[in-house]
Amino acid sequence: MVVGIGNAERGDDGVGLEVARLVDQLHLADVWVTYFREPAQILDEDLLAADIVVVVDALSSGAPVGTIAVREVDDRPLPEWTGAGGTHAVGLAAVVELARALGRLPDRLVVVGVEGADYEPGADLSTPVRRAVQEAADAVVALVHERPDGG
Amino acid sequence: MTHKDADAERLLHVDTLARVEGEGAMHVRVHDGHVTDVQLRIYEPPRFFEALLRGRSFTEPPDITARICGICPVAYQMSACLALETACGVIVTEEIRAFRRLLYCGEWIESHALHVYLLHAPDFLGYASAIEMAREHAEVVEQGLRLKKAGNAIMKAVGGRSIHPVNVRVGGFYRFPTRQELRALRPTLERGRDDALATVELVAGFEFPDFEQPHEYVAMRADDGYPLESGSIVSSSGLAFPAQRFADHIAEEHVEHSHALHSRLIKDGSAYVVGPLARYSLNHDRLSPLAREAATAGGLGPTCRNPFQSIVVRAVEMVYACDEALRIIDSWDGAGSPYVDVTPQAATGHGVTEAPRGILYHRYTLDRDGTILDAVIIPPTSQNQPSVEADLRSYVQDRLELDDIELTRQCEQAIRNYDPCISCATHFLDLTVERT
Repeated sequence: MVVGIGNAERGDDGVGLEVARLVDQLHLADVWVTYFREPAQILDEDLLAADIVVVVDALSSGAPVGTIAVREVDDRPLPEWTGAGGTHAVGLAAVVELARALGRLPDRLVVVGVEGADYEPGADLSTPVRRAVQEAADAVVALVHERPDGG
Repeated sequence: MTHKDADAERLLHVDTLARVEGEGAMHVRVHDGHVTDVQLRIYEPPRFFEALLRGRSFTEPPDITARICGICPVAYQMSACLALETACGVIVTEEIRAFRRLLYCGEWIESHALHVYLLHAPDFLGYASAIEMAREHAEVVEQGLRLKKAGNAIMKAVGGRSIHPVNVRVGGFYRFPTRQELRALRPTLERGRDDALATVELVAGFEFPDFEQPHEYVAMRADDGYPLESGSIVSSSGLAFPAQRFADHIAEEHVEHSHALHSRLIKDGSAYVVGPLARYSLNHDRLSPLAREAATAGGLGPTCRNPFQSIVVRAVEMVYACDEALRIIDSWDGAGSPYVDVTPQAATGHGVTEAPRGILYHRYTLDRDGTILDAVIIPPTSQNQPSVEADLRSYVQDRLELDDIELTRQCEQAIRNYDPCISCATHFLDLTVERT
């Protein structure tokens, strides 16, 4: 399962959706692509039904704009740069912890993030982020093609 | 949190009050054993939506004002449509009205499920967060998530998407779904109704502090049914007036410590309460039989004045919303036009509907080509601010023997009784209790 998260009307926040769309256009066998505005919507899905869930989202870690980060979810909480959320919304890190508490984490959950810069309403993807979209999609495809034994 | 000298001055400070929507602060001053000042400080910058609307077309407020809130966008769309249609002298068909009720049911279910399970229940079960609660009560949280998903399913089918629906327009909707599309929601809503009934049973078993609020209750009341998308405004003291007389009875005032305007009743300057408790107490007879039975089983009488029991009332309202959604779906024909034509005219229109947190008022003045000359929006959380402060004042006064940590915890819980959407009012909460 590939999950693109973001708001296409808020500049670089839409990068998760763009990357997921590229993967979707490949029509890969046994790969289900879905799109959400908010990370909490992930919990509407049956995560346990997937061998691997790849979540693609914008990041704000302080890295150079367009940097791609791949983080495998293990037994540690996700770092805050994946989106700890706040009082207005539940962030990805909190959603992962809630899924863990509910026993709903899949065998593999991987976050592919693209460092964003411009989140202004009505803005398009910034140039460095747009340039990173294809590379991020390639990373997602590589992940879903990996076999469980790593081969 | 800080704690000064217990004999001279006590200061409790919480930087970030969790499990509310938005950002603000609460300050409580205690002097010589008396609470002397309580302030709900909403300091998030104003968002200027009313100014943004000026000069826009009369067709735009449903989509623009929906962006005020991701939890209750339907409320903004419904009050905006009602006000603009009233200004243009248009009354929508019964079919459109029913469809609006259905959409509103979806919002009530998802909003109440979020608050009951993820924001408020941890207070009663002794957890700092829903995540901690989920580790030991996974089945409870799963029940809440199922209910939220059921509400979202209605929003998506009726509104086009679950956050900020796109199917609403002045005069009705862009499209009606087919009967089959709506019938497909049935299994989800039947399960939702069962989950809502189980929710009433669950939350009715919580322990509630012995506390009653004296404030006047203000809610809508319609010709039939529990109030959602239409009706006039009534109060527990006997006030009854239509939306266009709103400003004759309710006044907004600026207070120094808040970026959200406070509302008071003009007749005596008193605070008042909007939201589930007011709605329930003024419309108990309008609940569906099943929801009324659930209320009785949950220990509620025909009125409820303990704000801590608002969690039970929200659960009862979820039963009603599931019940009502199923009723509308079963009787749905969808053969008529999804909208009526609306021709603008130079006029002022008023609209009030029942957001999950209480009545939401919109007023628009248009010129003859439909350009908005003036807009006023009064959300429920700003109306409840004076009552939240009054509740805190009496609640703290009666519990000064509690230590700072426990008193702070209970104050936060008391604030969450109102499910404040501080973002709507404009917003966040950190808590300070100062004792001298």
